[in-house]
Amino acid sequence: MKVKVGDRVPEWTLERVTPERMRTVAAIFRDPNPVHWDREFSERVGLAGRVVNQSPVNLGYVVNMLLAWTGPASLRRLRVEFPAPVLDGDRVMAGGVVKAIHSEGGRRLAECEVWLDRQDGQRAVQGIAVVELPTGG
Amino acid sequence: MRALIGHAFPGGHYRIEPWENFLLTEATGAERLPDGLAHPIHLFHVPIAGVGIGISELFELAEAPSDASVTIDYYDWEFFEPLRESLRYTMRGGVREHERTPHEDGTIVDSLTYCIEVLAEAGQVVARATFRWHFWRFAE
Repeated sequence: MKVKVGDRVPEWTLERVTPERMRTVAAIFRDPNPVHWDREFSERVGLAGRVVNQSPVNLGYVVNMLLAWTGPASLRRLRVEFPAPVLDGDRVMAGGVVKAIHSEGGRRLAECEVWLDRQDGQRAVQGIAVVELPTGG
Repeated sequence: MRALIGHAFPGGHYRIEPWENFLLTEATGAERLPDGLAHPIHLFHVPIAGVGIGISELFELAEAPSDASVTIDYYDWEFFEPLRESLRYTMRGGVREHERTPHEDGTIVDSLTYCIEVLAEAGQVVARATFRWHFWRFAE
């Protein structure tokens, strides 16, 4: 796998974020925050009845992009912030660009700037990821 | 709140069940990973549950005014080995830092940084989750 600084990570897109998946995640996480599963609460707090996707799942979309690129066991680090929420019905696109490549213990690591954007251009996730490049990278 | 700095969680164990990995991976829109690999998204809830607490308890510890008064600042996830299904992991961790930010309208934001390590049965650290949450205390 040939990778160089400036390369774009192949994008990963989810056409529609669904409330059903948020409920599954809330149950597994045991997350009591009603913004993830209660439309009436969402209405009361000004979100027009749209529930809010869990931030780790937004990060999960970025992870999916990275694993599809460098392999299922390649992730080494993620440090991200969440400047905007993702709501049910949103379309999201994960992207990234290689900022540095270095070696560590015989492994080649790529440091990437990564992000997740909503269909309206709002950035929902931004940060840095480190992945191990496949042999030959 | 400052008294929470250094607070250690009870510690404990966690095993990622295959059904849990299936459902959570599917919830991200991804295909199941091969060879018993767990989706990295597990590094959110596995450390919290495994260290002997829960999200609700983290809210209570910080005296969150409501479940909806909590927002996330950042996550820093480090993987020294990939997480896998059906392995017994041990967790240890606690509260690392606290910062209080007063706003002009009287709102106070307490920001707490947590750090939890995930250890394999042989004792090596396989992953570390560091994360900071904001607890918003709005003026009356």
